[in-house]
Parts: sequence; C-alpha cells; structure tokens
Amino acid sequence: MIRFLLKRLMWMVITMWVVFTISFYLMWTVSPEGALLSERQLPAAIKRNLEQYYDLDKPLTTRYFKVMGNYLMLNPGPSMKLIDKSVFEILKEGLPISVSLGVLGLSFALLIGFGTGIVSALRRQSLIDVSFRMIATLGIAIPNFVLAGFAIIIFVFTLNWFPAGGWGRPIDLVLPSLCLAAPFAAYISRLTRTGMLEVLGQDYIRTAYAKGLMPTTVVLKHAFRGAILPVVSYLGPATAGILTGSLVLERIFFIPGLGSHFIEAVLQKDHPVSLAVVMVYTFVLFSMNTLVDLSYGLIDPRVKLDK
Amino acid sequence: MKWSLRGLFPYVIPLVFVVALFFAFRMGSLPPADFTFSNGTEIQSVDPAKSTGAPEGRIIDAIFEGLYRKLPDPTSPDDMVPLPGMAKSHDLSEDLKTYTFHMREGAKWTNGEPVTAYDWTFSWMRFLHPESGTQYAYQLWYIKNAKRYTTGDLKEGDRVEVELADRKDKAQMFPRGTMVSGIVKKIDTFEEGGKQSSGGHDEEEAIKYHVYTVDCVPEKDGEPDWDGPVKQRVFYTEGTPAKYLTKFPGAEAAMHVLLHFSEVGIKAPDEKTLIVELEAPTPYFLELASFYPMHPVNRTCVETFGYPDWTKPENIVTCGPYQIKERRIRDRIRLTKNPTYWNADEVSLETIDALAVQSDTTQLNMFMSGQMEWATVVPNSVLDQLRERDVDKKEDPERKEERDDLLIAPMLSTYFYRVNTKRPPLDDPRVRQALNLAINKQEIVDHVTRGGQIPAGSLVPPGITGYEGPVTQSYNPERARELLAEAGFGPGGKKMRPIQILYNTSEGHKSIAEVIQQQWKKNLHIDVQLRNVEWGVYLTTQREMDYDVCRAGWIGDYPDPNTFLDMFITDGENNETGWSNPEYDKLIEEARSEPDPEKRMKIMQDAEQLLVDQMPILPVYFYVSINMVRPYVKNFYPNLQDLHPLHILEIDEEQREKIREMEGLK
Repeated sequence: MIRFLLKRLMWMVITMWVVFTISFYLMWTVSPEGALLSERQLPAAIKRNLEQYYDLDKPLTTRYFKVMGNYLMLNPGPSMKLIDKSVFEILKEGLPISVSLGVLGLSFALLIGFGTGIVSALRRQSLIDVSFRMIATLGIAIPNFVLAGFAIIIFVFTLNWFPAGGWGRPIDLVLPSLCLAAPFAAYISRLTRTGMLEVLGQDYIRTAYAKGLMPTTVVLKHAFRGAILPVVSYLGPATAGILTGSLVLERIFFIPGLGSHFIEAVLQKDHPVSLAVVMVYTFVLFSMNTLVDLSYGLIDPRVKLDK
Repeated sequence: MKWSLRGLFPYVIPLVFVVALFFAFRMGSLPPADFTFSNGTEIQSVDPAKSTGAPEGRIIDAIFEGLYRKLPDPTSPDDMVPLPGMAKSHDLSEDLKTYTFHMREGAKWTNGEPVTAYDWTFSWMRFLHPESGTQYAYQLWYIKNAKRYTTGDLKEGDRVEVELADRKDKAQMFPRGTMVSGIVKKIDTFEEGGKQSSGGHDEEEAIKYHVYTVDCVPEKDGEPDWDGPVKQRVFYTEGTPAKYLTKFPGAEAAMHVLLHFSEVGIKAPDEKTLIVELEAPTPYFLELASFYPMHPVNRTCVETFGYPDWTKPENIVTCGPYQIKERRIRDRIRLTKNPTYWNADEVSLETIDALAVQSDTTQLNMFMSGQMEWATVVPNSVLDQLRERDVDKKEDPERKEERDDLLIAPMLSTYFYRVNTKRPPLDDPRVRQALNLAINKQEIVDHVTRGGQIPAGSLVPPGITGYEGPVTQSYNPERARELLAEAGFGPGGKKMRPIQILYNTSEGHKSIAEVIQQQWKKNLHIDVQLRNVEWGVYLTTQREMDYDVCRAGWIGDYPDPNTFLDMFITDGENNETGWSNPEYDKLIEEARSEPDPEKRMKIMQDAEQLLVDQMPILPVYFYVSINMVRPYVKNFYPNLQDLHPLHILEIDEEQREKIREMEGLK
C-alpha cells in the first residue's frame, strides 16, 4: 500500500509538472501580453513601465523557471488583472466556496439518488419506477446549466421561492446545489436500483425476511449495505466531477467560487490565476482518482494494489 | 480495514455535509445593504493610480475625492459639471495655464490626518512615477514637464533626483530610498543590440543603458540648495551589465534617475494651496482633476503597508463619502458611510453593496427578482421586452407618475470602422467616402443594436457643450456609386477587389458586419469577406495594420472633442489606420494652445470636417448608456459619461414598499 501511494505520488508530481509546463507555454504564447492587452494603445513609455512591472520584458523561459520556483514554494505571485490580490488570496477565497457547493451538491445527489433508487427497486416496473427512471435519464442527459435556466424560471420567477443569485444565506444554497446534484443524483439512483435488485434476490435477504424482521430493517440494514458498493466506487469520479463541474453554475447563480474565477481569468487573460486554477483542478482530479483506487482495495480484498 | 471504511461511511457523509454548511453560512454574515447595485466585473484595484475601468471608477469615486468632483449641474441635472470637492475653489491665471486650488478647511482622512495640498504633490508624483506603471499617466502629461518625469527623458544640464538603491524592501516604492538631488553633467549611453524578448515574442530591439554623471547639491531645510557646493557622483540604474561600468570606478547603483520633481508643474507652497502649471491651456483640466485616477492617496498609509497591502479594507485610509467595509473577490464590496467626510450630512445611504456580477443575464434576473436596485449592464436581446414592461407599468393609474426602469441615454462613445488607408484601393478618399455612403446606419441601429443608438456621420458624439460637429452626409447609394465610378471602379471601370472586414468574436459585431457586407454588396457590388478573430489576435492585427476594414470603438475620457480627434494625428498611438494629414495635425496642435474656447471649438470642428472628408474611419453609430434602475432610487440622472455618483443617491422608502408590494417581491 505504501509502495502504491509512493508510486502514485511520483506520477502526480510528473503529471502536475507536465500540465504546468504545457499550460504555461500555451497561455503565454497564445496571448503574450496577458491582461495588459487593451484596445487602447498606451504610449510606448507607459507600456514599457508596465511590462517591466509584470516581468514581461524578460524571456519566456526565464519567467518559466521563476514561476515554477514560486509554485514550488506555494506562492504563485500576484494576479495580473485583480492586481490588489495575490493568486493565493483568490484561491483561498474561492476554493472553500466551490468545495462547500460541491459537498452540498454531492449530499443532495446521494440523498435523492439513494431514495429514488431504493423506491424504484422495491416497486419494480410500477409507475413510480418508470417515471423515476425516465427522470433519471433526463437528468443525465440535460447539462446542469440548462437545468439551471428552467429552475430559475420556475422557482425564482413563477413560484418566487428562492433568490436568483448570491451565496451565503441558507436559502441561496438550495437551487445551485440541486442543479449541480441533478446529473449525479440520476446516476446514483440508477446504480442503487441495479444494486438493490441484485441484492434483493439473494438468499440472505430471504432468510432475513424469514426471521420475521421488519421490511424496513431488511431493506435499509441488510440489502442497502450490499447494494451501495458500486455507488461507493462511483463517489471518486463523482466528487472530482462535482468539484470541477460547477464552473458555469457558479456564473449563473453569482457564486464567487473557483469556477467563476477560472472563467473570468481565462476571458481576461489573467494567466497567473488561470494557471493556478488549472493546477488545483489537476490536483483534485488526480487525488480523487487515487482515492478511488485506494477504496477498491479497501472494499474488495481481491484487488491487489501493488500488482 | 474493510469494516472501517464501510462502517464509517454513513457517519462521514453527514459530518462533511455539516462542515460544508458551516463554510457556506460563514459568508452570509452581512446584513442586507440599503442599496445594492451590480458593478459589472470585479474591480482591478482600488488604488486610483492603477485603475482604468468604469467599475473601478464607481468605487474609487465613492471612497476618495479629488480636487473637484463631477456632479449633476444643480440647474440641469442631466449635465455633469465639475464642482468643488477637496478644493473649495480655484483661480485660473490670465494665460489659462496656471490653476491655483484652494483646499477645503476641515477635510480629513479616515486616520484623522487633515487633507492638504501635500497629498496631491505626493499622489501625483506617485501617479506619474514610472515604477507605478500607471496606465492613465498620460492624462496628467498636460502638466508642465510631467511627461518627462514619467518617461525619464533627460538632457545634460537638467536638474534630477536620484533614488539610491537602498530601499528597505526593493519591491515597495514607498518609503523611498535615499534621495539625492543634482544637475546632470554627462549621460553615457550604451546600446545593446540583440535578442530581446518582449512578452514572449522575440524581437530585435536595442536595450539602452545609461550612466549619469551628476553634480550633487546639498540639502538645506529639506529642499535642495541648487547654489550650494557640488559634489560629483556617478550613478547607473540597476541591471546595467558590469562590462559597461568598468570605466566608472566609483559608480553607485540607483533605483531611478528622473527629472527633479520640483521641475514638474505641481507645487504646494503651503498646505492649503496647490499650484498646477500646465504646458498649454487645457480647457478640460477641471474634468481631469475630477477624474478618479487623479484622486489622492494617503502617504502614511501607503508607506506603512506598501502595495498591495494598503488597499485591504482593514488598512486603507480614504477621504471620500464612503469607506470599504468588506471586499470579497467576485462577490461584493460593502461600502459604509464615512462619518468624517466633510459633507457627510448630505450623504443619505448608510450602506451600499457593489456586486461583481459577471453574467448579464444573472444581473437582470437579480434585478427583476428585487435583489438589486440598479443593473449597469442589460442584455441587448431583452431590450424590447423591457421597454414594453415600462409601457405596461404606466397603464396602471397608480404608477403613471413613476420613472421608467429602463433608462437609455446618449453616451460619449462611438462605434466605427477603421479603414487601412495604406492599402489600395482604400488609399483613395473617394472609395472610402463611397463605402461610408453605402452603409445604411439607420437600419443597423433599428434592427441590429436596437437600443436607441444614434446613427453616426462623424466621430465625435453629439452633446458636448459648446461643440457642434461638421456637416455630414447620410445614406446615399447613388452618390456612393458615382464616387466609386470617379475613382475608376464599377461599370466600365476596374472591378474592385474583395474587401475584408475584421472584427473580434462577438455576436453583436458579427451581425453588424453582416449587414454592412450585404449593403456594400447590394449598393456597390463589392464582395466582402468577414474575418472573425479572437480578441488578442484582433488587437495585434489591428495594431500591425494587417486588415482592410476593421471594427473599433472609442469611449471619451472627458467631454471634449479632443479625446476623439487627437487619436488620428500622424502616428498617434491609437491611429492604426495609417492615415496622416499635415493639415489635420496642425489644426489639432493649434487647438491645443488656443486660449479662446469658442475659437478652439471652431478649430476642432474644422479638424473633424477634414476627418469626415477624408474618411479614414467609417462612423457607424454613437453608443447609448443602458441602465435599469428602480424608480424609487432618487437623484439618478442619465448623462453623457454614464457617471452616477453613489453618495447623492437616495431611496424613497414609501415608494419602495409600494413598488415591491405591487410587483410581488418579498
């Protein structure tokens, strides 16, 4: 296990370095002036002063090593657009918001997914099952930002239940996390249903019923535990997906998370910020995938990590 | 191990959920503000010297105050005029070149220090200093010698200030290192031709290194004693390669060698008087003195914390009607009333939230659902519906007197096409005229932009006091064909080569280019290709003049024709059309030194007439400002520069309750 982790760590370092190098060179070659780019041409002297201020007068390779050094010391330097703020401050403010949005979304996804999945499995082929499955298929097919548009029309303007945007008050959290949760809830629901169906046909369930246990106990305690194995292994990619998938939703619901910063940084050519967010996303994706592989080994003793 | 993960699973998830909720709720601690508006994108900075955009302007105008301040004219509130701010009055000399500002008594910074004329000598020195990287520095170049101070352009015999390289923290401009004053005796310049990278592009560019021999003078009472005994010292700026320094054994490193600031026309003889000496009469200097980048900063604060720490809400020292209480990136800036502001009694709103809403649609959603009182950007696609909404609203007898929510007003800004006058056949003014006459601009504003924009015949938007634009021609395809025939194209003549329109990727620019493409095809039988490129490529292509016709826009910095017209002087930074006309250059130069305002405007008009005759640009329309404002917000006046000072706004509580009830908002 230690060997597995060390190997993964090594790969993570290599992946992050490759991602860093490619992103750095891509960004700075495609738009070499970064956020200084402006429709208004500045007098040459002022432009030179600004370029000096941002190190743009140095060769790209010199800057590459300098920035890499800064990253190794976890100090990505100042933002080029929001010049009062350092990249670190921007990440520090944005990341907790995105993470809490993600976790709320994930919790909703689990709650809804498990609930509908179990009901579907118990009432197999009934009207409820069919409609749940249909909604689930829709949920997977519809991107969350389209869903958000419909949700705003219905819940904000027609029913007047929730605010149109913002973050912080309990009521602000509901719509964005539900929209973010929808596709994942749908997927979890289908996984749970399949898992439950498989388990419900097993001998030990029949035994449990035969012992005279309450049907709720049987379903929740015996069947459900066996049924969620596939869901647990889906949690890794789901977490990564949910954390990196809130980009557009954050913009629609006016949430100052990492996704909003990323989109704006890319549009404004604020390369230091885009680069840092790319690195954070890489890290999140990589560590989540590692966690999943790890959990396989923990859950299923047949999987040997070192092979 | 198996039991631990599976066993813990049901407990871990709720725990994480609770932690996430905790984090999420931590943000919601602020009570709602009295007034909420969307400020567009997140502001770059609250440091006046480092800011450029309109969102920055709204915040900086609220927390700082300049010598003068642009406010609605008490007699006709739709016009903005510079009214006394931190200066209570000013005198202008006979030759219109020297402004003497008299500072307001009793104005205070939030740290208790009085606001004095010295704050301006410091702030404007910082503003002009090359190390500040001020984008708007050229706005103060109207002041005597200010340009030379920024550019570090020195001659032998100049009085200079040398900042030695002994700062405590090299990255911080203030507090400065030891300052030495002197007179330049000799400048040795070394050029290093070679590979020099500028922003990733490798270009051949000579780097110049200077070594200065300076006769240094002693200081007397804090001022340099120019007649005192001199001591010769040699300085080089940091970064000069050692090989050039071997000839100068005693050379000392300096951060900067600049023109002595006492040579620049900004003087404070005492703390209540500020004297500004200009290069030439500048009738719009008061506009500049009230422009937000020129607002003062507090020296103590800047020197104590350094940049960027001094801009943090807990450190910043301001002097305007509001203070920054909280600043969350891409969320909001919470402003609270500054009780020590000299005019605090007149400030009505206690708290203001400036939201950084990036998406136009979200902005509209939040406005419509009552989460904000003022939306600064409105999506074009819904303008018609919003207009209808205002009309419907007025049918209710109770609401007949209400102001419209959607406020559209002409703006000091023009949408035009640049023409590459270096490329045949566009080098012929007749062809350019023909292209202009063949564009039906009315059709564009009626069917494409649809916001009530005004078709443009010339470059300078209407509405500038005292200025009347030149005679322009309107849509006339007949005349266009004649002109083209005169130039030798069309039936019987040569066939015109296809013309390419360059624009940056945007739905709006594309629709306009398509309409013009059709009109030129229909009216002149010219084939037009559309070339759509990404913003960065668009700017570079335009700069390198690798285009035929190219979309452009310009927002006036101050309400004077000069802000538009001086763009097209020969080799102007923003000319980018290759157009050059000695007579035009002469007129612009003449206007610069003309003391009589009426004559000056006449010269400007002549210049614009010349521009319209030669047509290096094809004007398309004048922009309008579009704001959505709840009618219960009082003192909000649409104006040419789209300036809406926050501290004069008031809310009519009674009307607010009534409207919210009628619209069913919680």
